[in-house]
Order: sequence, then structure tokens, then C-alpha cells
Amino acid sequence: MGIATSSLTGTVRARQSRGFDLQLLLFVSLLIAFGVLMGYSVGFSGAAGSGLSQTVKTLIWIGIGLTLFFVAASVDYHWLETFTWPIYVLVLALLGVNLLIGRDINGAQLSLTIAGLDFQFSEIAKVLMIVVLASYLTKRRERIGRLSTIVGAAVLMGIPTVLVFRQPDLGTALVFVAILGGMLFMAGASIGWMGVTAGVTIGVAPLAVNALHAYQRQRLFCFLDPGQDPQGACYQLVQALNAVGSGGWFGQGLTAGEHNRLGYLPVQSTDFIYTVVAEELGLVGGLVLLALLALLVWRILVIGWGARDALGTLVAAGLASMILFQVLVNVGMVMGIMPVTGIPLPFITYGGSSMISLLFGMGILQSIRMNARKPTF
Amino acid sequence: MTDLNEGRLDLHRSRARLIAFSAAAAVVFAVLGARLFQLQILSGTAYADRALASRTVVEPIRAPRGLVFDREGRPLVVNVASWTVKARPADLPSARVDEVIGVVARITGVDARAMRARYRAFSGSPYDLVPLARGVSREAALLVGEQRAQLPGIVVEVDPVRRYLDDSAKQNGSLLSHLIGYTGAVSGDELQRLAAQGYLPDDVIGRDGVEASYESTLRGRYGSRLLERDASGRPVKVISTKTPAIPGKNLMLTVDARVQRLAEEALAWGMQAAKVKQGVTIVMNPQTGEILAMVSLPTYDNNKFATGIRATDYAAYLADPNRPLRNHAISDIYPPGSTFKLVTGLAALQEGVTTPERTWPTYGCYQIPGAAPGDCLFDWNHAGFGPLDMIQAFAVSSDTFFYQMAVHLGVDRLAKWANTLGFGAPTGIRLPGEAAGIVASTKWAQQQGRPSVYTGELAQAGIGQNVIAVTPLQLLNAYAAVANGGKLMRPMVVRGETDAAGTLIRPYAPEVLRTLAATSEHLQLMRVGARQVITTGHAYNIRDLALPGQLSGKTGTAEFGTPKPDGSLPFHSWFVAFLPSRAGAADAQLAVLTFTYSATVPGNVSTEVVKYFLQKYFALRQDLRLDPVTFARVGRSQN
Repeated sequence: MGIATSSLTGTVRARQSRGFDLQLLLFVSLLIAFGVLMGYSVGFSGAAGSGLSQTVKTLIWIGIGLTLFFVAASVDYHWLETFTWPIYVLVLALLGVNLLIGRDINGAQLSLTIAGLDFQFSEIAKVLMIVVLASYLTKRRERIGRLSTIVGAAVLMGIPTVLVFRQPDLGTALVFVAILGGMLFMAGASIGWMGVTAGVTIGVAPLAVNALHAYQRQRLFCFLDPGQDPQGACYQLVQALNAVGSGGWFGQGLTAGEHNRLGYLPVQSTDFIYTVVAEELGLVGGLVLLALLALLVWRILVIGWGARDALGTLVAAGLASMILFQVLVNVGMVMGIMPVTGIPLPFITYGGSSMISLLFGMGILQSIRMNARKPTF
Repeated sequence: MTDLNEGRLDLHRSRARLIAFSAAAAVVFAVLGARLFQLQILSGTAYADRALASRTVVEPIRAPRGLVFDREGRPLVVNVASWTVKARPADLPSARVDEVIGVVARITGVDARAMRARYRAFSGSPYDLVPLARGVSREAALLVGEQRAQLPGIVVEVDPVRRYLDDSAKQNGSLLSHLIGYTGAVSGDELQRLAAQGYLPDDVIGRDGVEASYESTLRGRYGSRLLERDASGRPVKVISTKTPAIPGKNLMLTVDARVQRLAEEALAWGMQAAKVKQGVTIVMNPQTGEILAMVSLPTYDNNKFATGIRATDYAAYLADPNRPLRNHAISDIYPPGSTFKLVTGLAALQEGVTTPERTWPTYGCYQIPGAAPGDCLFDWNHAGFGPLDMIQAFAVSSDTFFYQMAVHLGVDRLAKWANTLGFGAPTGIRLPGEAAGIVASTKWAQQQGRPSVYTGELAQAGIGQNVIAVTPLQLLNAYAAVANGGKLMRPMVVRGETDAAGTLIRPYAPEVLRTLAATSEHLQLMRVGARQVITTGHAYNIRDLALPGQLSGKTGTAEFGTPKPDGSLPFHSWFVAFLPSRAGAADAQLAVLTFTYSATVPGNVSTEVVKYFLQKYFALRQDLRLDPVTFARVGRSQN
């Protein structure tokens, strides 16, 4: 694979020429294109404001994101290690500010508006926390098997997790937890101690559930029995299942999905975008999107495996964990096998902060790739 | 291969963990893909069906209500366009409801409070239309339309409303209102019961007369179509027509509107002449039971109900002591008086109490058997008539003769024949609100808490007084059964179904309720008796009418209530007649009854009314009417 990549990127000069990963770029580009298409379809229905302006906005975000991608790709990712602590402080500050003055979106403080564009700090915080955690675990690599490593990482991750949870943004908080777990696992942390920690976490989970707003709690458990409140809290889920089920093999056609077109999915452009995919493009479209996401995760793991050092491996592991978890929860949610929480589908869900953060992360990955050791397989 | 770990700040890379992680990722994607397959392919149809159901609404298609024609094909009920101001709650901000309805009230002149109440009481979908004011004038409708910008959620729609016509196709809601009835808005209670049959919140339903009794025929069947709606419930487009609407059937009445008018004019004249406040005239074909006219005065204007009657108009109708909203011909019961002697006589002949030839003594006052001496019942003729046979007694209407018949029959044999002739139970005419009447019997007395009917009561029952009460229609129908040779018919008001032009296409068959178990000799004898009532002059000069047949009939006066200062009682006056080709024949095609309530004049008002009606009906040049007060001739014959 690496050989093929090398030959395709032969025009890129110097030592970077070896690593630029066209596959990563290809998968990301296809996903972004897929997302734009679905965003257009949703906008076309008129259900989510004027379609074109939303698509234009998305394109602006993608432009900013791609710039970040190439900047990050062209810089050696080790600068991240240097700035670990400032980055961590920045994350806490951003989340703190957000919690204090953030704007209300559907009852939760999730974003700030800068220059007319909404920005959700929690999205960029996810990527930044991957870097912070990777840096921390790299430093602890001699003592990786100890309980203290796990506790340290948990504390490091716990503070922003609580801040996000208090917004309240249960979904992002869960993503933080998933990133922590995935990175500890890939870093080689003690399976036994991780199990104990997980047990304790699950033990205190009811407390967290209790701290949720009633509407969140209700939504959370709809997936167990969507029929319990089909017009109320579970309305979205019931409609989502109907929409997905209506897709069939090939779907009802782009922009022609009845649920999408008639506005039956109140947040279809954000969290429920996969229902539009399934309804309008059917099983085939839904599987293509899943396959693209699977290829992306696979590619990230490959890049991590081939990274020059622990930092690269762990950043990749973090990004893979994040994307995998978000896909699982988001797609599982609209299909009724995961609780309903507000977690975006990477690259597909409309949202500038998510797009920018992901492209920034992909840029770091590209940098990892280009600074990788020679191909080993 | 170069050194893999060259320059690496590496931790122990575990291939096992990478494989485990990859496997977990593979499982995640596999589960999601499998779930997608399950939802879309395995149970896709079920979800698609549910999805279709959840985003579509079934919208009714209204069926036009059937028209009504008279037996000559004259239109009596038509549908005309009417402007209705309606509100769509979804588009009317709740903060502006009072203000907007206030403006609508000013323009339409409809009470704002009533509209507000109607609006508040509505509990359907906010996209349904709530009718606020029906029958709005065209000018008001246009004004509301012009001010649309200031009236959010207010729409003006053209709805069909009923218009009731008379024999000259003029809008006239009083000629046939008791027969035809009217439609009114369906009430909340009814809606709960009828929603399954397709009734809608702003629907109408027949309220009286044929409009009510033939509701399902006239209404037709509402169809439905499938409408797609968006998430907020707003209809987007029609997907399909599920069931087409079936228009209501047009009906032809047995009534001839011209005959109805003649009957009404005759009755109105008689009532006015005798200062009577309530009266009934029914004209029937005794062979078929077809009602040719049915007039109950005072009447009401059913056009006032067509667009929702004003509260003041309705209150006035309710407050009128003569109860114009009631069809006295079928809904009220009165003592039939001497007209009931037909029943007593036929029963006595059939039960062998007497024979056609046997004569009975008659008295000035009939001593009640078993009662104290001197406890007697007077004949209307206080001198008595001497010995009489049945025909003679019927012709002169001897009370004491029929007292004896009744006493010898006993109450239950009399009741049996009264019931056989249709008394004591509704006739089965398809009009709402028919009364059963009262026929005294042992059982009836026991329900009153006494062993049986007193002998005095029984004797009085024999002349249709005291413990006998009938509706005018029951009485006419009993005479019709005798007149037609012994078939008790179900009186009918609807002749059949017509096409849109009023041509009969599906006639309804007359229905024989029962054949009387009476010999044709006895029936003929009663008909001959009825003819002799006329020929002997018991019904004044009506015998002098040059009619195309031998008019036969019976008068009746039934005292009731409390004596006046001079000791006389107010009385109901009856006259019932039929017109066979010759005396005693069973071929009468016409039977007429008039009943007038509470007369205090010396003449028989009802006889005068029937006389006047027959003059008009047969377009006679004669005018033999007598003033019911002075007995002076009212008009002059033209030849």
C-alpha cells in the first residue's frame, strides 16, 4: 500500500514526498462530497432554512478546514508535543467560556458565534484532547501498565468531560470517554486496570443519568421502546425508523425522501442526517457511506501503525476511536440500537466546527504519515 | 528491511491490540450494516407502510345531499351555494382571536359571542376549518375577503345549503316544513356516535321530517382521499382517491305540493273563520297509504333553519303555545270522538255483539250497568232516536247505541279491534316523532294501578271519548283501511327515488301492514253507514257537492278540558271522509281528514274545511261553505 502511495505522490518534494497519503485524502474527500450532497438534499427540502445558503456556508467551512488540513499536514506534528500544556489550558478555557456565555441551541449551550459563524468549542476540544492525551501517554510510556497512568489520563480527560457534560452535552462527553478508552487500549494500558476503571465508571453512570435534564433522559431510553411516547420524546426516533425503513434497496432518490422533504425529521441536517441517506439512497447508499467511514477508520489505523513514534500512533488511535464511536452512536441511534444523543456523523453532519476539527485532525494524520518510518508492510 | 525502530520514541506496539481494535471496528460496521439491511429490506415494507400512514391524512370528500321533489316532479328542496365564514386555528394567532372574530362579527352581523363560543368549542386539528357564520350575505363575504390581510386564519367558503320551495318553486319554508323538516349542524354528542359513519365536525344532519327520517338516503356516502401532509400537518398534495363520494339519492314525495297548498288554504280559512288556533288536514290515497297532503297549522319556516336559525326566532317558535314546530298530525294525540264509532261498530259486528239487522233501543241517557240508578251517560241527542240498527246508528251518530256496543264488547275486545285498525301504536309512517296514542284495555288500566277500566269509561271509549286518544293520521289510516276493503296500509310520504330532473326511477312499493280479519260484508256495511252520514245530512250540506263519487265519512266532536262559564266544554272537531265510486264500494282513491283543536262554535269547522278543500281539489264551481258561527253561506256558487 505504501509503495503505491509513494509512487502516486512522487511529485511532492523532499522527505515529505514519501508519505503523503492520497488514500486518506481520497476517503476524506469522498465523505465530504457525500456530506455536501446530503446537506444540499436537506436544504433543497426547505426544511432547514434556505438550502443554498446552507450549502455555501458548508463550503466555506470546508475551505477553512482544508486550509487547516494542509497547514497541519505540512508541519511536523511534533510541535503538538511542545505545546501540550498550553493546548490543554486553551481547551479548558474555551469550554469554560462556552459554559458561561455559550448560546442556547435546543436548550443546550453548545456554541459561540464568531463573525457570524456558529462555533462549537467542544468539537475542536475533542481533537485537541486527543493530542494532549497522546502527549501524556507518550511521556508515560515507561509506566504505561500502571494504574496511575490510567488515573492520570482519566483526570486529564475528566475535567473537560465534566465541562462538556455540564453544558449539557452528553454526546460529546461520551465521545471524550470513548477517546480515552480507545487511546489507553492502544497505548498498551493494563487491561485489568482498565476493566476496573470501566466498572467503576459504569457504577457511577446512573448518577450521570440523574444529572441529565428530563428531556434528555427520556430521549436516551427511547431506543429501548420507541412506542412509549411516539408523539413526544420518541417522535424523532419513530420518524427516523420509518424513514430508514422506507428506503428499500435503492432509496427514494436524492432530495425525494418523503420524511426529509416534508420535514418529519426536525434535526435531519445535523444528528439525523443518516436517515436522509438511508431514505433517499437506500441500502446501497447507506452501505456505501458506512464503507467509506470504515475505510477511513482503517486508513487511520494503518497510518498510526506506521507512525514514527508513540505520539503519532496514539493521535491516530484517538482519531480512530473518536470517529468509530461517533459513527456507532450516530448511525446506531437513527436505527434504534443506540440511545438518542446529539453526536454528529463525521464529515456528513452539517456543522462547521465538526468539519474544521476533523480536517485539522486529518491534517495531523497526514503529517504523521509524511513523517512516518519507512513502510514496514 | 531497515531497522524498524530507528529513531523512534516508541512504546511497545501491540499487534494484538491493533487486531482487537480493528476487529471491534469491523464488528461495529458489520452490526450497523446488518441493522440497516434488517430495517430496509427485511422489515422495510412494514416501516414504509407505517411511514405512509404517519405522513398522510384521509380527507373526506363530501357527497351532495339528495334533492326532494313532489309527486308531480316539482322541486321542493334544492341545494344552493351559501357563503360560510370559517376560521383555520393554525393560521389564527390565539392572541388575536377575539379581535379577529370581533371584526368578522361587525361585517357579518353575526353575534361575536356565539362565534367565539363555536371557535373555542372546536377540538379538531388546527388545520380543520371551524365554521363561524353560515349563510352570510354575498356582500359580507366579499368584505371579509377584501380584509383578508387584517383577518389571519379567516376564510370564506361556498357551502351548499338547503333551500325549501313551494308548489310554485318559490322559496317558501312554511308549506311543507313538517313533512320535509330541515337540516342542522351536527352536535358534539351526535358526532361521537356518527363519526364512524363519516360525519364531520362542520357537517349537517336531518333534524325533522323527511330530512331526518331519510337522512342516510339523502346524505349519500362521503368519499375519502389520501392527502400527503408535512410534519406540521399542512396538506401538501392529493395522493389518491380512496373511495369516491356517492351523492345522496333524490327523493320524490307522495305529496302533491299543489294539493298541499289547497289543503293548507282550506284549513287556514276554517281556522280563521272559527278562531281556532291549531288544525290538521291530511289527504291520502286509501288504496296505497300515500300521503297527498299533510298540513299542520300553525307551521314554521324551515328556511330559517337552513343556515342556522337565529336564537330569537327559535325562542319565538318554542314560546308559541300552539307549538308550530310540532307536526300535530302525527305527534299529538286527541280523543277521536264520534269518528271512533267506526271501530266500535266494526268490532261489534265482528264479535257478534250485534248483527247488521238487529236493532237496539237508544236513549236520551244511557244507564251505566252496575252503577247507581240515575248514573247515566247522555246521548248528544237528549231525546234519543228510538230503535236503530248499525247503519242507522252510525248515520245519526247515536251515542247510546255505541255505549251499548262497547259495554257488550268489553274493553279488551274493543281494544283488540282498535289495535287491529292501527290505534295505540305508531302507524309506521317514516316521519320522526310519531305518537302511539292511547287505547284503553285491562292491561292499560292495570298499568294505571286499577283492576280494569270502569264500565262508564268503557262506554265512553265506544264513542271515542275519555280513554281513547289518537293521532289524526291514525284515524285517517283506520278509515282508509275500511275504505280500501280491509288492508291497513303503512302511510307513506316518500314515493321513491328520482333522477336529478325529478323523474321517478326507483319507486317504493306501498306496504300492507295487515289485512283486517273482518268480513267484507261488515266492512261494506260500515262504508254504507259512512255514506249515509253524508246523505242523511248529518254533515250538513256537504252532500250537495257535485263530486265524482259518493262521499262517505264521519263527523266527530270530542269535548275536553274544563267547562266554560256557560257550562259548555271546548271541543275538537273532526271530519274524515273518503270518496268511493258508489256507496259501499271499496275503490276510494281519496281520503281526507280535518281536525281542528278547541273550537267553541256551533258548526263543525272540520267539515267546512274538508268541504272547501274538496271544492278546490275538484275545481268545483260550487261554494257551499257555511260560516261555522252563523251557519250562513260564505260564498256563492258560480252556477
